[in-house]
Amino acid sequence: MSESSLNTTRRYFLGQCTGVSVGAMALHSLAGQEVTGLPSLPHFAPKAKRVIFLTHSGGPSQLELYDHKPGLMPWAGKELPESVRRGQRLTTMTSGQKQLILPGLTKFSRCGQSGATISEWLPHLQGVADDLCFIKSMTTDQINHAPAMTQFLTGHQLPGRPSLGSWVSYGLGSLNRNLPDYLVLISKMQRPSDQPLYDHYWGSGFLPSRYQGVKLRNSKDPVLYLTDPAGLPRHLRRGMLDGLAELNQMRFEQTQDPEINTRIRQYEMAYRMQSSVPELTDLSDEPDHVFEMYGPDSRRAGSYAANCILARRLAERGVRFIQLFHPDWDHHSRLPSWCTARCRDTDQPSAALIKDLKQRGLLDDTLVLWGGEFGRGVAGQGKWDSPEAGRDHHPRCFTMWMAGGGIKPGITYGATDDFSYNVAENPVHVRDLHATVMHQLGIDHERFTFRSQGLDFRLTGVEPAHVVKNILA
Amino acid sequence: MFRHVGFHMPRLMPKHLLLLLALSLSAHADPVSFSREVMPLLSDNCLSCHGQDAGHRKADLRLDTPEGAREVLKSGDFMARIVTTDPEEIMPPPKSHKPALKPEQVALLKRWIAEGAKWGKHWSLEKPVKAKVEGHPVDFFVKARLAKEGLSLSPTAPPHTFFRRISFDLTGLPPAPGVIEAANNVDGLVSLLFMSHHFGERMAMWWLDAARYADTDGFQSDASRTNWPWRDYVVESFNANKPFDQFTLEQFAGDLLPNATPEQKLATCFHRNHMTNGEGGRDKEESRIDYVIDRVNTMGTVWLGLTLGCTQCHSHKFDPISQHDYYSLHAFFNSIDEDGAAGTGAKPYLSYQSPHAKRAVDEAQTLVDARKPVEAKAKADAAKPFEQWLAERQTAVKDGFQAWHILHGTVESQEGSKLAQSKDGTITASGPNPKQDDYRLISALNLPRLTGLKLEVLPQNGALSRGKDGEFILTDIKVQVRRKGSSQIRDILVKSAVADTKVEGKAREYGDVKGTLDDDPRNGWTTKGFPKDQPHTALYGLAEPLILESDEELIFELRHRSTNGDANIASFRVSATDQPGPAVRELGPTPLEQLASGHPDRHRLLDQFLEDHAPYQLAKASLDLANAQLKEVQAAAGKLNVMVLAERKEPRDTHVLVRGVWDKKGDVVQRDVPAAIAPWPAGTARDRIGLAKWITSKENPLTARVFVNQIWQMLFGAGLVRTPDDFGLQGQRPTHPELLDWLAVDFMENGWDVKKLIKLIVTSETYQQSSDHTSPSDPQNLLLSRGPRFRLPAWMIRDAALASSGLLNPALGGPPVRPHQPDGVWEEIFMGRFTYEPSQGAAQHRRTLYAFWRRSIAPTFLFDSAQRRVCEVAMTRTNTPLQALTLLNDETMMEASRALAKRMLGSPSSNRLQLLYQSVLSREATPKELSVLQRELDRALAHYRAHPEDARKLQTTPELAAHTLVASMVLNLDEAITHE
Repeated sequence: MSESSLNTTRRYFLGQCTGVSVGAMALHSLAGQEVTGLPSLPHFAPKAKRVIFLTHSGGPSQLELYDHKPGLMPWAGKELPESVRRGQRLTTMTSGQKQLILPGLTKFSRCGQSGATISEWLPHLQGVADDLCFIKSMTTDQINHAPAMTQFLTGHQLPGRPSLGSWVSYGLGSLNRNLPDYLVLISKMQRPSDQPLYDHYWGSGFLPSRYQGVKLRNSKDPVLYLTDPAGLPRHLRRGMLDGLAELNQMRFEQTQDPEINTRIRQYEMAYRMQSSVPELTDLSDEPDHVFEMYGPDSRRAGSYAANCILARRLAERGVRFIQLFHPDWDHHSRLPSWCTARCRDTDQPSAALIKDLKQRGLLDDTLVLWGGEFGRGVAGQGKWDSPEAGRDHHPRCFTMWMAGGGIKPGITYGATDDFSYNVAENPVHVRDLHATVMHQLGIDHERFTFRSQGLDFRLTGVEPAHVVKNILA
Repeated sequence: MFRHVGFHMPRLMPKHLLLLLALSLSAHADPVSFSREVMPLLSDNCLSCHGQDAGHRKADLRLDTPEGAREVLKSGDFMARIVTTDPEEIMPPPKSHKPALKPEQVALLKRWIAEGAKWGKHWSLEKPVKAKVEGHPVDFFVKARLAKEGLSLSPTAPPHTFFRRISFDLTGLPPAPGVIEAANNVDGLVSLLFMSHHFGERMAMWWLDAARYADTDGFQSDASRTNWPWRDYVVESFNANKPFDQFTLEQFAGDLLPNATPEQKLATCFHRNHMTNGEGGRDKEESRIDYVIDRVNTMGTVWLGLTLGCTQCHSHKFDPISQHDYYSLHAFFNSIDEDGAAGTGAKPYLSYQSPHAKRAVDEAQTLVDARKPVEAKAKADAAKPFEQWLAERQTAVKDGFQAWHILHGTVESQEGSKLAQSKDGTITASGPNPKQDDYRLISALNLPRLTGLKLEVLPQNGALSRGKDGEFILTDIKVQVRRKGSSQIRDILVKSAVADTKVEGKAREYGDVKGTLDDDPRNGWTTKGFPKDQPHTALYGLAEPLILESDEELIFELRHRSTNGDANIASFRVSATDQPGPAVRELGPTPLEQLASGHPDRHRLLDQFLEDHAPYQLAKASLDLANAQLKEVQAAAGKLNVMVLAERKEPRDTHVLVRGVWDKKGDVVQRDVPAAIAPWPAGTARDRIGLAKWITSKENPLTARVFVNQIWQMLFGAGLVRTPDDFGLQGQRPTHPELLDWLAVDFMENGWDVKKLIKLIVTSETYQQSSDHTSPSDPQNLLLSRGPRFRLPAWMIRDAALASSGLLNPALGGPPVRPHQPDGVWEEIFMGRFTYEPSQGAAQHRRTLYAFWRRSIAPTFLFDSAQRRVCEVAMTRTNTPLQALTLLNDETMMEASRALAKRMLGSPSSNRLQLLYQSVLSREATPKELSVLQRELDRALAHYRAHPEDARKLQTTPELAAHTLVASMVLNLDEAITHE
């Protein structure tokens, strides 16, 4: 591109005022700089540069995994007192049956120096307890999957708002010129899932669509349309793009429309992605001991375990927001077989990811989150004392953990009552979680807004949201 | 560039904002305009705490009404609190994160007060009036505005650019050869374009986005619905130039009209296009309330340009609409005879047979008829090789042929069972007997390929497991391949499973062997109920034959993860085969074993032979797809259930919902409309007919403006009001208010004539200007000093590629089709529950309007499109590398490139590149452009001539491959994908 046209472009972009434009992004890369987000961000020095969000869809049972309630044994099979239930709504799956208490089915250990309680179904996470910060007092407003997951990820129960990752990508931009800022990895499962993972979960809502999460697929095209057709060698593609750029440049000289220069840049980025993405997803350069650390499933492309390795590789490459989805935690029945299956998929790789990030010095500025859209209720679903029993959805309390990224390691924050039914101390609403994640990234959630349909929207919505100060290192 | 963001972002003061400020200040001599100048200031800075929303109101002070503000204005408190420097006192307060008012804003307020603090209405709530004009009304206002800034219109666009522009705008397609020549002038061209049925399709694509139309429910089950006849109703309505008030009336209340026709009832599907939630555990009443809310919000956005959604939970902070108003509107839609169900239970339905389906059936039938003889011939052609094969087999199987080969190798247990393999291949468990266990057999494969595996579960001491009851439960199996020394494993897809114990198992119970294929520990294979002192056999067939390299090993994994456990297999044996078809799908002797034993079954032998005979398989697969398509459209040609509106006998009471929560019922409200907008039309019943009449009443200041603005946005890429979904206080003000009003009034006076409105705009000089960016002063083109230049919507890019390559199937209406989309996209969202099979034959090349729209995953080749989850009328335009990849590699774009290349090769070589430019860009290439095109063509030709194998991979000859590449380059040009 000629110097003069580059200047025109630069002048034009400096004259742009609405939001952050794709053109402005391209300008930064024209100038050879790191691509950044809004000039007003970060609001203050961030503790974390990037986020890895291990999203467990379906509602993992806090009672089986983390929230140990030994005092429940004498209550087994007895009806949940109304003083505890206090009018909590049930789904229509169990609203017709008696709420008979099913104590947690697993043995717990006190782990590490911190003495966190972790279930025997998660032996590997038991080993990294001292790196984790448990929040036992998570709470949400929604009792059904899609609205709850939508709220968990976008702050509002109805689709249409940007997801957390989109906000972050919009606000902070990318640290990598060859990869999108927000990448999504979904575990490949063989069984049809009962809860589809809608693309609005990583959608950009009213933000420009360039901020939506890009799904890395487990197929020959890790990103849709990435691969050139067979029979089109690289040097011909290069030549064609050169010709395309030349012709577009002629058009630019005629029309002076700066959008054309942005388009030329985007085709170049596309070309670079065609090498950077396969290089990223090809795990063959990982040594054997890495696969051993992440467990046998990690050798299977598309598994949660392999995605955990990919998450680490993305973190190494400076991708801002990395979100893994592992479906099928909706255990309405047969907890001992069904829930253990999902624990087996995820326990070792989740723990390995923490260890791996730590070994590589990445955990300090990477915020790792583990959690699902809600928890599960203390009453058994189905016949409570049968191995067939499961648990219904429960929005009032659930457990998450966080690690790295300026969060205090080895602590447990908040608590539920004796029934793991209500939050007993230090409630953390989903919007508080969002405020806290933003805070670690150097963003004041109250000042980070976007105007759409006449309103200034923010991720944390209109109700007051609070950064959970007590868990910050 | 993309949906407008507004001026609230804290950034440098850019040039054109300065320009705007200058514009607003330039009117200094005139008295301050309340609605244009003061109201926006109050709205931005004061009303979130001092508006009509009593719930959030501070200090019991209202500044949205003259009565509320009177006292503080009179006392001087109002200005005092604004200009004070005391952080405790100043308004807006620092904790609101709103900056203090700027000096010029303060000055404005002071002048307004000095002039008597005259109150007025927000501009969009004043009735529009027609100002006097001279000449073309559009040009009159635009030129007057430009003249104020000392600017003028740009020169007229070159003819080819103008033809492309108007053709895309009116039909969504590039100019068809001949159309331009046939028209004498712009008027004639417009008439010709209006006559094309592509006009209605183009308009419908816009309307479908606004109507959040989709072919599935959305949410968890995302079941298909058959509402597409409504889409054709929309196309036909626009083609017939149905007046917009009538179009509105039919969609709101077609069912209530006297002697309603089926099409009028069909029209009401508009208000049923919302998502429906069939999630288990969902309260249906909550869903039903959601749907009613969706209807009110959609009406607000599409017709009124108001963000009514805000008032679901609280009275509007900015606009004069209370929560009571909102639920009064809700009441019009609250007595629909629906119960919140989704899927096939989403009544009320209209049973409707589409007149457009027969054409699709004929088309599908033609394809089947064309493919049938191909399949028959392939079968006939296979007869000879079959006999030959059979003769060879006959010799080969003489000495006791065995199809199954027992696998020997390493055995491992995950949880501690001791596994040992004996010489005959039997693997037996001993030692610890864990509750659940996974076994793995790792073995080399001494076969040229693998088509299936046989699992024999063998009794040991009269039992099949070491568990209490002696029964086994195999929950899942896995077949994997690992290269020696490699770190990674690949999963091999197993397609079929049969066993000697057939049970009619319910889902999620143990019994059926098919349950071992789905990674679900809640189902799986058990032989409980059958003799446990007998061996049992299961056969697994691979989806595709597997060939192992010499350094690769096969892993067969058996998972015992049942709920109660204690059911691990005690003893078993695994065998492998390279025989296809019946051998792995049917138990008992394989066809070749039968042959070996002297009891050949020719039918099974032929089945097996054909399974491996590629030419036949190809023809058969192709015919199968055509047949499946025929079946599908035949079903669509019958009576369909289309979701429509119908009133229930007993109307429901409508309540205000406290904080918008579905089961928190407040006051009862009656059907009514917000008085601040327009009065209820006298003498009209309080039903949906009345509501539609209120919306399109001449007293309603919003509807015509909102509609005109959307048409303007369609033609200019941005509206006269750049927030098409918000005409309220927080929306943007029109760039040309008098023009908007003139067009709105004229539109109503002309009986809501849509074509007339469009014709008026496109015959203006303003519309016909060049879009080159000659003046740097107005980058966003707010003053319309040049023509619109913006990237075409993705659907138009696809349609244009099909049209300019000659592939487009121009048929109108009918059941949805499935354009090319990468494999596996639906499958990965739904973990295999839905599969996407691209349409076959001519159905593949229909316009994008007809593409099947799965709500949870929109067609992948459409970028920046509306999501069709809720109503959307704003435009989004981004410019990303993912779009570049789509346009470079999408199969449709490749097909169009190939078709263009074929056309090029059909004309003399000297003319080919010009032909390409003419087809795609409707113009000749310049010499400079030609030299680039020629260079790339030569480069590609040189490569493909030297490497014909690459051309073969593209399924072309070297010449065709090289021309395809150049055609693809031209289809990717900025000019090709841009409305210029």
